[in-house]
Amino acid sequence: MTTEQQNKSKTLIRERSAKRRSLYKSVDRTMQFIFRLCGLIAALMIILIVFFVAARGIQVFLPGYENPVSLGEFLTGMRWRSDQGVYGVLFIVINTIITAFFAGLIAFPLSVLSALMIVKIAPKRLSNALTTVVELLAAIPSVVYGVFASGAITDIVEKIAGWFNYTTFGGNSMLAVILLLAIMIYPTITSMAVVAIRAVPESHELGSLALGASRTQTNFKVVLSSAKSGIFAGLILGLGRAFGEATAVSMVAGNAFVGPTWNPFDLTRTLTTTMLSGLHETVGVDYDVRFSVGIVLMIIILITNLAINALRKKMESGD
Amino acid sequence: MNRIRIIKDRIAEGFTWLSSGISALVLIAIFVFIFKRGWSTLNWDLLKNNYNSENLMAGYDHIDWDEHGAFTAPDTLPEDAFFSEKYGVAFVDSINAAKESQMEVVFLDPESPLQDGKITTAGPRQGEKFGMEEGLFLKKISYINLEGEKKSAGLTATQGKTSEELVSVLDNDSQEVVDFYAQTEGGGLKGSIITTLLLIGLTLIIALPIGVFAAIYLHELAPKNKLTAWIRSSIELLSGVPSVIFGLMGMTMLFQVTRLMGITGQSTMLGALTLAVILLPVIIRQTEEALINVPDGYRMASLSMGATQFQTIYKIIIPNAMPGILSATLLSISRIIGESAALIFTMGTAIMDNPAWNSRGTSLAVHIWTVMSGEQPNFELASAISIVILIIVLILNVSVKYITYRMTRDKDDQKKNNKKAKATAET
Repeated sequence: MTTEQQNKSKTLIRERSAKRRSLYKSVDRTMQFIFRLCGLIAALMIILIVFFVAARGIQVFLPGYENPVSLGEFLTGMRWRSDQGVYGVLFIVINTIITAFFAGLIAFPLSVLSALMIVKIAPKRLSNALTTVVELLAAIPSVVYGVFASGAITDIVEKIAGWFNYTTFGGNSMLAVILLLAIMIYPTITSMAVVAIRAVPESHELGSLALGASRTQTNFKVVLSSAKSGIFAGLILGLGRAFGEATAVSMVAGNAFVGPTWNPFDLTRTLTTTMLSGLHETVGVDYDVRFSVGIVLMIIILITNLAINALRKKMESGD
Repeated sequence: MNRIRIIKDRIAEGFTWLSSGISALVLIAIFVFIFKRGWSTLNWDLLKNNYNSENLMAGYDHIDWDEHGAFTAPDTLPEDAFFSEKYGVAFVDSINAAKESQMEVVFLDPESPLQDGKITTAGPRQGEKFGMEEGLFLKKISYINLEGEKKSAGLTATQGKTSEELVSVLDNDSQEVVDFYAQTEGGGLKGSIITTLLLIGLTLIIALPIGVFAAIYLHELAPKNKLTAWIRSSIELLSGVPSVIFGLMGMTMLFQVTRLMGITGQSTMLGALTLAVILLPVIIRQTEEALINVPDGYRMASLSMGATQFQTIYKIIIPNAMPGILSATLLSISRIIGESAALIFTMGTAIMDNPAWNSRGTSLAVHIWTVMSGEQPNFELASAISIVILIIVLILNVSVKYITYRMTRDKDDQKKNNKKAKATAET
């Protein structure tokens, strides 16, 4: 081989590897771009959701709309008669908050105690079994809860109403909604509380035990208050689920026309059941007003989040 | 510790036992209720039948009737069935849920000439092959009698209103069958099952790449800055949005996307797109979890061997994160099967027997909603479908648990091995 030939093949190899390197680089860049794009798409969704739902929901209040709804009447109204063109959302908001609040009131203590049981008290086997129970409850789809509620919970409610000499509409009532929601948010709060209690540093417990507190005292006073932040995060998630739960609730709510409902054996109407009722038409006020209800729902969830966060901060600073 | 303290502790502990007990009881109550109500309704016919029953008329004008001889009844025939020896067919009288009497075809000899009919009802299926078959509900049969006149018999005719009469008329008075009019059995889940499968396929095709890529971006590529933090918190927020809101979003925003594909109304595609958005946070979280479990050493080794970043991701990281991606897929499937509210908005509530990606349809969950929200809620059917859904969802969740268990166990094993290796190296 002459030196000339050697040089030639060397440059050839160099050129090829340079070409390959630039190809790799461009593949690298394109893929990086695609990855970043996917990340951005995922992040943009929430903004798009808020924007599109709000745009459609505000539309019915604007003067250009055919049969516009008055915003004031919508926000303060205590009647919802879509057949008469009366749309008042205030009583629905109150109903939604009451049902979610009472569901939380039932589920929260049960959840926290169960979580404590799973992490600290139960022996390993039982703890695993209980974890599975919670996971199964979380995995059951909402329609199945709906079938259970409209078959079993309504029967129970009817019986309870009988004790108080009330008649219900086949058991469909606010109490049924509350019980159903309590069951549905229980696994959400419990699993968050379990994570929070697991994360409590052992030194806190040991400290408490060393000071002479009993095991149970330590669990209830030290462990729970250390895990408070996570437990409240669970409560937020749970209430969010209670506000947003649609199919199961609408199977037992009964959709009252006026409200707010104070008697637990009366029919009720929540924001989600309103959105799901009478889905036959696809144009007009009746259809578009669902989006306005959707905005109200999102605002309520947001306010609840902020309120509970504020409460948590206050409790933490109070310690 | 004094006695009061002990009693107080016991009571407090008792409450934890009580609350866990209540949760277990509720779970058992749900399962017992659903299985008790639905088990007797659940069978294979339910799974493979159409929902809407069809009225069809089939004719036999192209058959040479002389060819066929006498048939013998099989031993397996139920006692209340009546068998026609001339045509090899057996009927049973029954009363349906609407208290109407009906005549079911319970047996048809495979050689019977009655199976070679053609549809004569006007419509798109006219001329299609359709004969007598088991499971059909016969209304009327027209035949040529021994005198050569055309007569009819059956439930809607003047004679042959019971199986016994009909069979005797057919065997003793007919030369050949002209046509028959029958109703197919309805109330089945076939269409909804197909729609559900279609929905799972479409949703995963859309959601998996975006979700996995987004997770890879967040964990492998993203710089630690405000933008990344914002992306993370946005995705976190997305998981807190209720599914009705996703349904609304599907109706306004994604509807425009499906309109570009030439779909004018609610469709399975629209449902799949909406579900894809719902699943993004789930897939991203699960995949990231798996990426965290891939040891950093793998990445460094691959990069130091001269592999590019994409090669490292494609050849090292994704294969190692596969169990996590798999469990994300299984969790997604279980969410798709259970989702109802968003699909009611985007796919409609009309149960279809011949679903397509660009037409309306119901998944199994929405099927439950439809039969429950009618004038007469059908608990038995709803519970039967619930059993199907529960079994699938439980299997999926157990698989996810197993995969996660394997993943963490592998990681623990690795740690142990590392420790051992270190220990031996030191000695």
